[in-house]
Formats: sequence, C-alpha cells, structure tokens
Amino acid sequence: MTFVVPIGPQHPALLEPEHFRFEVRGEEIIDVKIRLGYMHRGIERGLMDRTYYQGLYLAERICGICSHAHNLCFSQTVERLAGVEIPDRARYIRTIVAELERIHSHLLWAGVAAHEIGFITLFMLFWRDREHVQDLLEMISGNRCYYSMCAIGGTRRDMRPEHLPKIDRGLKVLEKATKHYVSVATSDRTILARCENIGVLTKQDARNFCAVGPHARASGVDVDMRRDDPYAAYAEIPFGVVTQSEGDVFARVVVRLREVLEAIGIIRHALDKMPTGPIRTRVRAKIPPNEATSRVEAPRGELLHFGISNGTEKPERWRVRPPTYANIPSLVPMFVGGTIAEIPIVLASIDPCMCCTDRVTIVDVTTGKSRILTMEELRRMAR
Amino acid sequence: MKASEALEAIENYVVESKILDERRAIAVTDLARYRDALFALKNKDVRHVSTITGIDAGEDIAVIYHLHCGGSLLNLKVMVPKKDPRLRTVTDIFPGAALYEREVMEMLGVTFEGHPDPSRIFLPDDWKEGHPLRKGWKK
Repeated sequence: MTFVVPIGPQHPALLEPEHFRFEVRGEEIIDVKIRLGYMHRGIERGLMDRTYYQGLYLAERICGICSHAHNLCFSQTVERLAGVEIPDRARYIRTIVAELERIHSHLLWAGVAAHEIGFITLFMLFWRDREHVQDLLEMISGNRCYYSMCAIGGTRRDMRPEHLPKIDRGLKVLEKATKHYVSVATSDRTILARCENIGVLTKQDARNFCAVGPHARASGVDVDMRRDDPYAAYAEIPFGVVTQSEGDVFARVVVRLREVLEAIGIIRHALDKMPTGPIRTRVRAKIPPNEATSRVEAPRGELLHFGISNGTEKPERWRVRPPTYANIPSLVPMFVGGTIAEIPIVLASIDPCMCCTDRVTIVDVTTGKSRILTMEELRRMAR
Repeated sequence: MKASEALEAIENYVVESKILDERRAIAVTDLARYRDALFALKNKDVRHVSTITGIDAGEDIAVIYHLHCGGSLLNLKVMVPKKDPRLRTVTDIFPGAALYEREVMEMLGVTFEGHPDPSRIFLPDDWKEGHPLRKGWKK
C-alpha cells in the first residue's frame, strides 16, 4: 500500500512555495510529482511592456540572492542586441561583483544546508562569515542585496582605490574560514552521516535531465558558463572548474565550498589586472531589430536571457530561464528510492530559489484522513 | 563544438542558418524535419537543452530550441501555424525539455503531442482560458 504525501505549496526546505506530491511506501519514496507557479509574477510579459532601461531594474528583481546575475545577463543581452562593446574596466568590475555574489550565495546555502541537517552551530558560523562578503558588497555597491552594479553599456559605479585594502582583508578572512569549513565538512561525522550517498544523481541522469551549475558539477558533469561561454572578464582570468564524481549531497557541499575558494582567486586576479579607464559607454534607447542570447554562470548555474528587439525602446519578446527551473526535473531521480526524512536536505541540496512557508500535509489515501505537520515537526522528524 | 560544427551537423535539416560568431548560431527548420535535426545533434553528443522559447509571431508561433553544443549555443527555430498549433514532443530525445514544453503549452497554446505529462505548470488550477503570452491576450 502506498501513501501520498503532499508537500507545499508551502515548502519544507526554503521560504518559497512549490508543490510536491510524494508517493511513499512506508518511509520509502516511490514517485514524485512537481507543481510550480505559486510565485509566477509574469515578469517576461512585464519586461516586454517596459523600456530596456526600466527592464534592467525589473530583471534584477527576479531574484534577491543572485540579483547581479540577472542584472548582468540582462545588460549583456541588451548590449548584444545593440552591438555595443563595453569598456574593459566595466568587464572587470562586473566579474568581481559576480564572484562576491557567488561567495555570498554559496555561504548562505551552506548555512541553510547545515540548518536542514540540524547542525545549528555550523549554520550560525556560516552566516557569521557571510557577513564579511556582505560588507564588501555593500562597500562597493552601496547595497547588501540588489546591487544594481550594471548599467546598460557598463557599470553604474566605479571601484575606488581605498576599497582595495578592505577587499584584500575581507578575502583573507573568507579564505581562512572557508578552508576550515572544507576540512570540517569532509571530516565531521554528523555531516558525513547525513550527506554521503543521499540524494544521488548519476552523471547520466544529470546530463539527460539537463541539470546545471554546481548541482550538475557535483555529478561529474564538467560544465561552467564562465569557461564554456565566456563573458565579462572570465576569458582573461585563469580559474578551475570544480567537479566531483559522487553526485550525492556531500559532493554538492564540497563543490560549493571549493567554488568559494576559486571565486576568491578570481577576485584577487581581477583586482590585480584591473585596467583603468571609463566604466560606461552610451547605448541608444531605441535598438534596431535583432535577436540575442546571453548566458551567465549564476551561483546556481546557467542563467539564460533571450531578447528580441524591434526598433523601439521596448523589447518585442524577452525570455528568462533561471537555473533552478532547469534543475527541477533532476530532483525526481534524487528523491525516488530515498526516505521522507531525506526530503528537506535533498531539496535544499539543489539550492532551490523559488519563493515559501512551512506546512506539510500527510494524507492517508485509503482512509482519506489528513494531518498537517508544521515545519518544526517535519524538521524534528528529519533529524 | 564550435557554432560552425553545430550547423554542419544539421545542414540537411534546415531551411536557413547563420553563424553570428564563434559561439552563437541560429537556424530555422520546419515541422517535417525539426526532430531529425535534434536527433542529428544528439548523435553529436549534444544533451543539454538550455530552454525552449515560444514567440507569438503573428500568423505563426515560433518555437525556439536553445541548445548548448559544448562551446556554442544554437537557437533552432521552428514555425508552427497558429491555426493548428501542434507539433510532436521532443522529450523522447531530450528528457530535460519536459518542463519547458509544458510552459510553452500553457503560455502560448501550442500542443506538444506525446508529452508524458501535459498538465499545467505555472498557471493556476482555476485558470479559465487564454494564453498569457499570445499578443491579443488581455487580463
């Protein structure tokens, strides 16, 4: 006999709504169905009704955690549509902010993951150290979130010489902390017990289901838009693409933490080689008919913006495909064969970025009786 | 794979094609051959559909497959007549395309025949009619 466990639209792992129907036999998950759209805001249509300059700010608000990725990808697409080359200094500033954002996003995720497995001390420590990178982002952009660094044709702000020693100091603290976390994560018994061989996604499944980002790289898929489709200053900066072959939750932890170290290296190199000069070129408001696609390696993976211009100051069509959307189909093989207790951490392990609250209803399909669990109860069950 | 190599793989199945730069190519195919083109790419180890975009282009609906071909991105366009907006699913070739097809189905009213789960994905359950990304759609 199987039971159906509906989870969501209030969501067990993060504060965002989506809906899962788990079919379970005892504790084991047999099948899962996914329903999205509880936070659909009609942004593609919204972008078509706004000018490119207004759209820049709307696109940024698609995501609060990886706002710079959308900001950057939107600007790049508009620049491609208009056929404009941006100044070298702007490319480097964009790269630095993108990598700082990656560090903040990965540390935020690591904290959430620690929380999901009940390791609250580690959650606090991750988020304490994330403040260092938040301070740097605030210093450079003026904001802790929604940095608005990109303008169409360059960047909105320049980096000042007095920022450099502060960034250097901040990166040293982050590097030391992250190295410590890598050694903790790879040796702590609690983390290993909760993450090793859990939510496994094979390389073949990752490729077939078109997974992206750290999630795909943890399954051994060697893909990274920074290298495969270079943008900003990535073509001029040496860096390694981190992959792991295991494909379990543990591999995803290791990939993200090692990516933080790579990001620190990229920022240092970019600061070292940063050219001087202007930060912006002028782009006319009306863009002749054209179509362009731009891709960015957001913290969660490949982000795609596709735009069609029609000679006016508004786009004819705008398409956005954020990375979590691409990673949803690969959740199915990760859940199937696992247990209910694994749901929160497996779901959290793709670093989902939708939008959430905290109720789970367990329905007995034979009697039709249902029981609502609070987030706290689910977490307690999961520990 | 460079953009030129990606176009070489599908040269027998396209109406027109253009290389934009080393990493970008666009091609237009037709309803009779688009699956052959996708099969040809799969044989060249292309596994990743970045996304599928649907566009209301007046008389037709353009369905664009954005395909990640190693080092390049190919936008493969197929025009579907608005009078009879039907085409076969590609989920048998690329299982990862399932959600994107469902999105085009509800947003633009294109039917992907043979889709394993053609239910709604983003629109609410009580959505009555209309496809929000069609040009004439009003609230």
